[in-house]
Amino acid sequence: MVKRSGFREKWGKMPPGRGVGLACSTYLTGAGHPIYWNDLPHTGVQLQFDRSGAVVAFCGATDCGQGSDDVLAAMIAEVFGLTTNDIRLVTGDTGITPVDLGSYSSRVTLMMGNAAIQAAERAKALIAEAVSKKLEIPLDRLVFAGGRVFDASDPAKGLTWQDAVIQGEAMHGTLGSTGSYKPPAVPAKYKGGGVGPSPAYSFTAAVVEVEVDKDTCFLDVKKVWIAHDIGRVLNPVLARGQVEGSVYMGLGEALMEESAFRRLPANLSGALVHKQPSMLEYKSPTTLEMPEVDTIFIEDPDPNGPYGAKEVGQGPLLPMPPCVANAVYDAIGVRVDESPITPEKIAKAVWDKEHGREGRFGPKDFPVIEWPEASKVKTPAEGGDGTASNEKPRKSKLMASGFRLAPDSPGAKVEGVRS
Amino acid sequence: MMRCPSFRYHAAKSVKEAASVLADEGPKAMLLAGGTDLVPNMKRRQHMPAVLVSLRKVKGLRGVKIAKDGSATIGACSTLADLALHPRLAKGWPGLSRAVSSIASPLIRAAATLGGNLCVDTRCNYYNQNHEWRESISFCMKAPGPHGTAIQEKTHGTCWVAPSSPRCWAVSSTDSGPMLMALGATVTLESKARGVREIPVSALYGDDGMAFLKKMPDELLTQVRVPAHAGAKSAYWKLRRRGSFDFPVMSVAAWVKLAPGGEVEDARVVLGAVTSRPLDCPEAAILLGRKLTDESIAEFAEKASAHARPLDNTDFQAAWRKKTARAFLAGALKEIRGDDKATLGVLAQRVMQGASCLG
Repeated sequence: MVKRSGFREKWGKMPPGRGVGLACSTYLTGAGHPIYWNDLPHTGVQLQFDRSGAVVAFCGATDCGQGSDDVLAAMIAEVFGLTTNDIRLVTGDTGITPVDLGSYSSRVTLMMGNAAIQAAERAKALIAEAVSKKLEIPLDRLVFAGGRVFDASDPAKGLTWQDAVIQGEAMHGTLGSTGSYKPPAVPAKYKGGGVGPSPAYSFTAAVVEVEVDKDTCFLDVKKVWIAHDIGRVLNPVLARGQVEGSVYMGLGEALMEESAFRRLPANLSGALVHKQPSMLEYKSPTTLEMPEVDTIFIEDPDPNGPYGAKEVGQGPLLPMPPCVANAVYDAIGVRVDESPITPEKIAKAVWDKEHGREGRFGPKDFPVIEWPEASKVKTPAEGGDGTASNEKPRKSKLMASGFRLAPDSPGAKVEGVRS
Repeated sequence: MMRCPSFRYHAAKSVKEAASVLADEGPKAMLLAGGTDLVPNMKRRQHMPAVLVSLRKVKGLRGVKIAKDGSATIGACSTLADLALHPRLAKGWPGLSRAVSSIASPLIRAAATLGGNLCVDTRCNYYNQNHEWRESISFCMKAPGPHGTAIQEKTHGTCWVAPSSPRCWAVSSTDSGPMLMALGATVTLESKARGVREIPVSALYGDDGMAFLKKMPDELLTQVRVPAHAGAKSAYWKLRRRGSFDFPVMSVAAWVKLAPGGEVEDARVVLGAVTSRPLDCPEAAILLGRKLTDESIAEFAEKASAHARPLDNTDFQAAWRKKTARAFLAGALKEIRGDDKATLGVLAQRVMQGASCLG
């Protein structure tokens, strides 16, 4: 990304008023623990097949524009060798579908995707068994591809997808399957160890080029280069849309979005009122404010992701505010340490610098906080087992109260919960 | 969802009929042209007219006529899109073309009219809020009670921007007003009581956020006449957060007539959106007889920007808006001088980008 943007050739070398900034970030792909504590899966997918060859997938995940429906269909289609057109979806209706915890935490592709693969693999096993018996092909030679189920060593020998489903239904009765997903147990056993773990982490690096007007300090973002480690791109158009949407959202935060209060005169009212009470004052960029975005995907499949995929919904917005701040510094030599980075703040920092003070706008110090002693945890490489050497072994309040799950109940054998 | 208060709707067929309804109904009647400012304001209860007199069916109020002497007559109900896309306006009065094409968004420009923009309500962060928000701060001077704007009368109520002020400081937010003032345009007003009168655009405005229009409530603004450009140049620079669509929070409308040798023969410069009316800069006189050099422009910009005393009731900090006024005053004149866009800086590019988005 440094190469693509020409960062080394530009940084510190552009004409006055122009500059580039670089920033990196990382983000989680779904939380390791559900938002309300329980031992149930975080998501579920149910598949229904009928003798027409139709596949219907039910899942509570809600497509709010990010394209999760496409991901659901793609996962299932991939397992069966079908296309996304062959999968019918019923999503987002909690009265009909298995529960999915929702579109937050950049979790849907990874969790729903894994659940969909599990459900599809289970159904595939049923269908494969029936086809194997019917055509006398060993199971390990069966291939599901191109809308057919066939012998790898004799591709002409096989059944259409519909006939394969019919064989499955003939052998097993009405076909259906379920899949669900729950992140791997969190190995951290120290205090606070339940916060932040995730099945997979994405990484982003971005470069922003800006121009700052020397008279007014008006700021214009010229171009954004952004590289995102997505694990695997499942749909290039949707993934790119998510990155560009994140850049847009991040630029809004970096450049103009603000929610501040002001106090009315004390002798008349003293009330605190919103300075930006409506969307007229709360400015977001529009398409016309969007600079060109050059998106680069780094595909390094993650073992925990469905076909290696990780999040792309939120991570790419994180580098934008520091990137813009760094680019402003390169362009005009002052630092703005709070968002939004507005012309007024840049102008104040420039004025300060011209008058012998530090060219810096923002909080002058960090609030004094009395931190408790840090937990000391050895890494796995150092032989750590997830406990902190300076903490007493802890039990949850629930466990301390004597509560125990029945030995055969779901979740009773969850790793990391010690009785 | 905010809904309009109930009102009677009168679709006038002629200017005479509209004037007659206004005369009969008195100040509780309001004119409806594009409605892009009035209707949202009604939903938020800034205005609660009992009668709306629609001008949609009035013939002859829409269109641009360029006379033999080179002057342009623009019907008040011409939409901003009509004007933004008008090739002869763009050629002769580029400043006007840019001013109207910088107003709102393409969708709004397709409905909003020139007359509506000239008469657009003044704006203030404490005023342009919904009814509940304004109620929570006990309303303000401009809208002192639940029934919205007092009609050009001083009433009780606080100005939250300048609490000790006896007047309202809501900001003139018209883009066409400053530019037409700089071009020396006139408007025609018609009423039942006074007949037809033609006044300069500069006489249309009063310096008070409430009594910001000198047009009487029973008068219709029917047309705008722009004198022949006769080779004079014009430019409009508008400050706003977003180049795509925002109200002006400071603007410069400049009109300059240069002699063949480059000396300024005549010049008018008007600041918009820094107070409750478009503000003429008499300092333009110091440019007369001089060439538009960096020095003369800087001297003019320094002096004229002293007029801009914006208050903290719009987007951006007031102090920065004032600082920007100087850069904009200089920038608009440099554009008129013919400076290359690339040398005018990032803000100039933004100012011009807005204008390139026509429609």
